[in-house]
Amino acid sequence: MKKTLALVLALVMIVALAACGVSTESAAPAAAPASGGDAAPAADTSAKNGITLFNGKIEIAGALDHAAKVYEEQTGKHVEVNSVGGGVDLQSELKQRYQAGNMPDIFTCEGTPDFSNWVGKVVDMSDQAWVSDTEAEFVDDTGAVIGFPYTTEAIGLAYNKSILDKAGIDPASVTGPASMKAAFEKLDSMKDELGITAVVGYCANAKELYWSTGNHMFSNYLDAGLARDDDTYFDLMMNEGKLDLDRFTPFAEMVGLFNQYSDPALLVSGNYDLQVSGFASGKYAFVTQGSWIGASLTDQYKDLYAAAGNFECGMIPYAFIEGIDTILTNPPSHWAVYNEGNVAEAEAFLQWLAGPDGQQILVQEAGLNSPYKSCTVVANDPFAPTVADFTARGKTSGWHFLEQPANMAEDFTGAIFQDYAMGTIDTQGFIDDMVATIPQAVK
Amino acid sequence: MNENTSGKKILSLTLLILGAVLLIAALWMDFSKTYLVVNMGSAKIALRGLFLVLGALLCLAGLYYIPTVMHHRAIINFIFLFPLLFTFAVTVIIPMFVGIFYSFTDWNGVSYTKMVGFENYGAMFKDPAFIWSLLLTVLFVVVNMILVNLVAFLLALLCTTKLKGVGFFRAAYFLPNLIGGIVLGYIWQFVFSNVLTAITNSPHSWLASTNTAFMAIIIVYVWQYAGYIMLIYINGLATVPKDVLEAAQIDGADAMKTLFQIKIPMIAATFTICTFLTLTSAFKQFDVNLALTNGVGTVRGFMGQRLSNGTQMIALNIYNTAFARDQFGYAQAKAILFFIILACVSLIQVRISNKREVEM
Repeated sequence: MKKTLALVLALVMIVALAACGVSTESAAPAAAPASGGDAAPAADTSAKNGITLFNGKIEIAGALDHAAKVYEEQTGKHVEVNSVGGGVDLQSELKQRYQAGNMPDIFTCEGTPDFSNWVGKVVDMSDQAWVSDTEAEFVDDTGAVIGFPYTTEAIGLAYNKSILDKAGIDPASVTGPASMKAAFEKLDSMKDELGITAVVGYCANAKELYWSTGNHMFSNYLDAGLARDDDTYFDLMMNEGKLDLDRFTPFAEMVGLFNQYSDPALLVSGNYDLQVSGFASGKYAFVTQGSWIGASLTDQYKDLYAAAGNFECGMIPYAFIEGIDTILTNPPSHWAVYNEGNVAEAEAFLQWLAGPDGQQILVQEAGLNSPYKSCTVVANDPFAPTVADFTARGKTSGWHFLEQPANMAEDFTGAIFQDYAMGTIDTQGFIDDMVATIPQAVK
Repeated sequence: MNENTSGKKILSLTLLILGAVLLIAALWMDFSKTYLVVNMGSAKIALRGLFLVLGALLCLAGLYYIPTVMHHRAIINFIFLFPLLFTFAVTVIIPMFVGIFYSFTDWNGVSYTKMVGFENYGAMFKDPAFIWSLLLTVLFVVVNMILVNLVAFLLALLCTTKLKGVGFFRAAYFLPNLIGGIVLGYIWQFVFSNVLTAITNSPHSWLASTNTAFMAIIIVYVWQYAGYIMLIYINGLATVPKDVLEAAQIDGADAMKTLFQIKIPMIAATFTICTFLTLTSAFKQFDVNLALTNGVGTVRGFMGQRLSNGTQMIALNIYNTAFARDQFGYAQAKAILFFIILACVSLIQVRISNKREVEM
């Protein structure tokens, strides 16, 4: 009796274990080349069916899903799109996936620090056709093209044109701190008339928006008004840990102006959703977010945006010094191809995305500003005209903040912006704290 | 008999050799990344996993048939213990040693370039942000151990009286524990950022400044955890024998006296369990911390520096060191220190508490 029982149990265990073994194993080589033989050796990498794209811009998730579907219809190749939202630490997520052996074939990297995580793990795409069609690809120290650009984004002070029109302010007249202050004061005095909650939607919540203040806002100190490759202030900060106070003081005063004229409910306790939905519903004349919110206005918040009259949007430079006349444009991130993934199919998909069909979807549906010269589609995005205008006039600067230490905003500068917004430190305190903290951050 | 033994010997040897061959084949496939695939109609079965499992089973069967009387019992013991030991090794023992190894390298989560010796361990004691996290965690643990136990014990006393609807209250107090820490953090973030600011008409959320944010974390944690500890106390109070209580009543002890002289000493074991639980779980606090403040908070002049991680507990500090700063080796060293601290504190705590218990 005991023996039979033991036998039965052993059998059950064998079956169960074998079942586990088979089901987990069969996932990887599922689509082995359909050779007729009983046992066919197959290389693991080429055996995987379809590819996975890890997208870090939740704003374009819908359009990417659509692009993947169209691609599958055209070529029969399946593309899985995983999208995660702003505030999610992409690199942590990727590393967890890497540890779990679940690395996507195409993934997002922002700037040099991110790419340096994956040295020797990404494919050199220099031989791809799209490389000659763009100037925005990411090139590493050795000259290898390791990042595929999919959009260009702009950092500038975004405005709601219909509110400015109503208040009789010409955005082009804001050319420096004095005119900016005058415009803010005028808008503030007409708040009830214009039906706005606050002049500017600025949020310095260090937990939620450290990237907006510590990276994007701060990048204006580094780049605004300068030539695209001018890294004077960036080098000063990175090499010597110093800020140029002649430039930083007026910058601090501009941030102070935003603190003063922002919505108190948003300033410290708010979050990204509140900020963007507030702008979409016409509560703020200005918002301190860049061109990427265009996709949110026309997609996520399209009802609010429609209710506010689908107002025209534009951007002005963060002119904290008289004469600053550029907005900051750059691909915010690039897509890299994992060299142990399904390289051939991943490259084919990227090439397709850079082509007319892919660009049609990315530009029109996701409202991306195409970094490809051959692209003729015009984005249906509220900020596309203004970005195109600045680009055509050559009034754009670069994004050097992408090369600053990855944790600088999160661990160091973001909290200083929050303290300044809360009023626990004044303008001088803000400057002093920044001066004291930067050396620790870039160390 | 003799024939039987030699037959068994051959069987055992065959099984062992076959098993070993299969295991080695599976390992070879794993390292060389060649996968044999069998086509069975539409389904394709990879052989590697099958080889591995079958090889292991054949080895075990071979062990079972080894013709020995002396060691037979030991072999059987081993075979029965093997699945558990194997699982324990794979999930706990091996990762721990791998972790200790990584703490001596400059691992960045993807690869490492060199061994750094004790550099990681030395660096953490010169890192003001880490020291702050460590001290803050100790403070958090002390405050929480007292508050959680106090609140939980009072709730337990309340819920063991003959009040109406006691069952409902028990369930209600326990409910927060069933909500995950992250969700709970976001709910309370809304409370602190939007509701409280509206009620008190203050311009800033409690979460914006370090002191109030720390208080907020404590409040949420007590709210979440007290119900769970309460259940354990209720269980403990139920084990106090009725005859002892009756005897006390006859002797004229009032409610206070019964509580302090009888109930509390009788459930000393429960106190041990509860302090232990609150101690270790408060030490490991992570999810509420992450969702509520993500460690943000300004601290001035700590070890001559301005810190931005004013509300960051040690677990979150380790996580951020690894995943935000890409210093996995350094984070691993911090984690080892954390493990040692936790192990020591728990051992001391259990030892002290055990002395106090009353034999029933």
